Amino acid sequence: MEDHRLFRFPKPQWMNSANTRTGGVYAAGALFSIALFTLVDAATYSKSHKNGSDFHMNFVDWIPGIFSALGMIIINSIDKSRLSADNFSYSGDGVAWKARVILFMGFAAMAGGLAGGVTVMVLKYVVQDASWPALWFGVGNVVANGLVMLSSVVLWVSQNMEDDYTYNLAL
Amino acid sequence: MAGLKTIIVLSFILAIGFLLVILSSALFKNYLTLLVVGTYVIAPLPNWLCGKAQSNDDFMDSGANGIAELGRFMTGFLVVMGIALPVVLAHCDQIRVEAMVMSIVGGLLIYGTIISFGMFFTEQEEF
Repeated sequence: MEDHRLFRFPKPQWMNSANTRTGGVYAAGALFSIALFTLVDAATYSKSHKNGSDFHMNFVDWIPGIFSALGMIIINSIDKSRLSADNFSYSGDGVAWKARVILFMGFAAMAGGLAGGVTVMVLKYVVQDASWPALWFGVGNVVANGLVMLSSVVLWVSQNMEDDYTYNLAL
Repeated sequence: MAGLKTIIVLSFILAIGFLLVILSSALFKNYLTLLVVGTYVIAPLPNWLCGKAQSNDDFMDSGANGIAELGRFMTGFLVVMGIALPVVLAHCDQIRVEAMVMSIVGGLLIYGTIISFGMFFTEQEEF
C-alpha cells in the first residue's frame, strides 16, 4: 500500500483511526446544528423588537437552506462502494451510473443552495441598502449554507475514512 | 468503593447543573431556558438507540454502520443545539445574557454527568 501512493507526503496515521472517524461524524452533526441555528437566529432576530428596520425574513430566505439540506441528505445516503461498482463483475448493470446521477443531483442541490443564499443576500439586502443588523439576515443565510456544505464534506471524508480502516483490518 | 464515591460526586454535579438551569430561569421570571434541560436529556438517546440497532458484525456489513453514524450525527447536533439555543435566545433579547451563561454551564454539567454515568456503567459491565 505504501508503494502506490501518489503524493510526496504520506497520509498521517491518525486519519485512519476509528476515533477520528467517529469524531468526524460528531463534528458534522455539530456543524449542521450551527448552520440551522444561524438561520433560526436570523429569523428570530427579524421578528424580535431589536429589529427596527423594514427588512424581514420570510419563506424566501429559507428556500436555499432547504435545498442545501436536501442535497446533503441525498449525497450522504448513497452507499460509497456503489460508485465503483462497475469495476467488479458481480454487480448488476449500471449501478455506478445510477449512483453517479443521484450524486450529481445532490451536489447540484447543494451548490444551488449556496448560490441561492448569495442571491437572496444580494437581491434582498445588499441592493436595497440594508445596514448591519438587517444585513445579518443575508449574511447568516450565506454562512448557514456554507456550513451545511462544510458539514457534508466532513461527513463524506469520515465515511471514506471508514473504508480505508476496514481495508486495513481486512488485510 | 470507588463506584460509590463516583455516584455521589456525579449526583452532586447533576444537582448543581439543575440548580444553575432552574436559577437561570426563575431569577429572571423567564422559563425559556428550561428547554436546555430537555435538549441535553434527549441528546444521548439517538446514540443509544442506534447503537442497539447496529448489528454485531461491523466489519462485514457496511450498511449496518450507517445507522450508528446517523445516531452520532444526531447526538452531535443535539449537543451543539443545547449551546446554540440559549445563545440565539440571548441574541434576540428573549433571555438575558446572565441567564444564557448560567443555562449553558448548567446544561453542560448535566450532559457531562449523563455521559460519564454511561461510561461508568459500561465499565462495570465488563467485570
